Amino acid sequence: MTARARRSSVPVYAALGAIALVSLAPLLYMARVSLGRGGDLPVTPSDWLAQGFSLEHYRAILTGGPMARFALNSIVVTVVAVPLQVLFAAAAGHALARVRFVGRGVFLALATAFLILPRQVTLVPLYLLLSRAGLLDTYLALILPHLADPFGVLFMAHYYQTMSAELEEAARTDGWSSAAIFWRIVLPLSGPGLAVVGVNGFLITWNAFLHPLVLTTSESMRTLPVGLALFAQSEYAVDWGALLAGSTLATLPVVVAFAFFQRQIVEGVLKGSSR
Amino acid sequence: MRRLRGAQGLAPWGLFFAAFGIFPLVYALALSFLAYNPLRPDLVRWVGLDNYIRALQSPSFWHALRTTVIFVVGTLPVTLTLAYTVSGLLASVRRGAGFFRAAIFFPATLSMVVIALVFKSLYAEEGLLNGWLGAMGLSRVHWLQDPALALPSIMLMDIWASVGYYAILILAARKTLPEEQFEAARLEGLTRLQIERRIVLPHVRPVLLFVVLLNTIRSFQIFIEVFVLTRGGPLESTLTLVYHLYERAFYHFEMGYASALAYLLLLVVGAILLVQRRFLGGDPMEARAR
Repeated sequence: MTARARRSSVPVYAALGAIALVSLAPLLYMARVSLGRGGDLPVTPSDWLAQGFSLEHYRAILTGGPMARFALNSIVVTVVAVPLQVLFAAAAGHALARVRFVGRGVFLALATAFLILPRQVTLVPLYLLLSRAGLLDTYLALILPHLADPFGVLFMAHYYQTMSAELEEAARTDGWSSAAIFWRIVLPLSGPGLAVVGVNGFLITWNAFLHPLVLTTSESMRTLPVGLALFAQSEYAVDWGALLAGSTLATLPVVVAFAFFQRQIVEGVLKGSSR
Repeated sequence: MRRLRGAQGLAPWGLFFAAFGIFPLVYALALSFLAYNPLRPDLVRWVGLDNYIRALQSPSFWHALRTTVIFVVGTLPVTLTLAYTVSGLLASVRRGAGFFRAAIFFPATLSMVVIALVFKSLYAEEGLLNGWLGAMGLSRVHWLQDPALALPSIMLMDIWASVGYYAILILAARKTLPEEQFEAARLEGLTRLQIERRIVLPHVRPVLLFVVLLNTIRSFQIFIEVFVLTRGGPLESTLTLVYHLYERAFYHFEMGYASALAYLLLLVVGAILLVQRRFLGGDPMEARAR
């Protein structure tokens, strides 16, 4: 790098630093408030220092009140839904990529349309459907709609199209069953693709709001995002410390996922995973 | 027969997609022609196009549509300009690029509820922004309580939450530009700005159009922001289409009417997609770095 190029990159770094700061500051603020004492929001930098550090908000939300239950619900839904999503995406994606069955084009077109169409259209019918099935306010209501997500299927279909079928053909010639080929050859070779589907499925499931809001009615079935949003609307003065401690808890798994799978998250975003 | 057997892998997802994707889509269309209150099943009846007519004659519907248009017009140019600029900055550095990319993209992975709660604390009467205004000797601003400011406050938050996401999309398109083209341009003596205008901009244009489309469609679906920050108020100044739909369906139990609103939303989004395809050219899905 020449001296001139180095000099000219100083304002670029200054700008990037400022943008990165603006981008992270609200989250650092959230973490700071969550680690403070009392219910007041620290406002000036001197407040941030003066308030001291304590885990009292975390202790409060995790021992009393419904927040621990919200977190448990979110974990249950995510732990059940995401592995199924991943498995379904592999199976359906593989079928779409390898088999020219009747109606294949229709499936692809519908799935693609669902990627971009507003999901809110299905809100009222899903509510009525699940309520008539007696599933409203259950884990199934929170889990089942996630299993219809088309992103993973389309992503894996594309993934398998770019993956050679030679090994599978050879196994078939050797008399392997379709199931054996799928479980013992296709799945073990699908790791990189399934990581993209899995981590993006995790983000969507963990952060889901509108459907969980409508499909649950009792406090004990709320997921973290829904519980937090409703908690913020209580008639009484908002307890910011508790609220932002809950928000920080809801963010931690996302931070971990981001730390390990940033590349896969970006790849998913580039190929149409919605937020 | 072998071919049909091979397609069995489609079944698990296909069943769920049919039951929780396609069926609700069709069911919503049917509902939109009914007067349907789930608490009064005895009163369910066919009303034809009445729900649609009622929506199109309802001030709330047009108000919600207008709010959305203001939202798009106010946020899109800012978000797009910032995202493009940030992508340019990110593309022009080597050392530390990974850190900056991560820091700027990270908010895109967050729950919108969390984002809205943090901003609610920043916008609070006793919150950070008013504290700073006070420290500068200025009077407080009622960010979310003033009907003239509530929507702009939400728009500001949306811009914050979106720029990193779109910057990453544009950055990916920039990276597909062959290095030789830059070399050639530099040898020809083009300045940075000329390279940006004559080479980079035309190259990333499809993605910019895609960002315009995606951001517009998303703006039509704004819900969480409104639910957490303002609940449509004050004085309905932040009433968006989806929030209106939610209120009609789950406070007033007008499921038929809400379904008509949902289909109007679908039509608007469909129209935007068609306009994009017809006038701006290209398949929006193809613009992705696939």
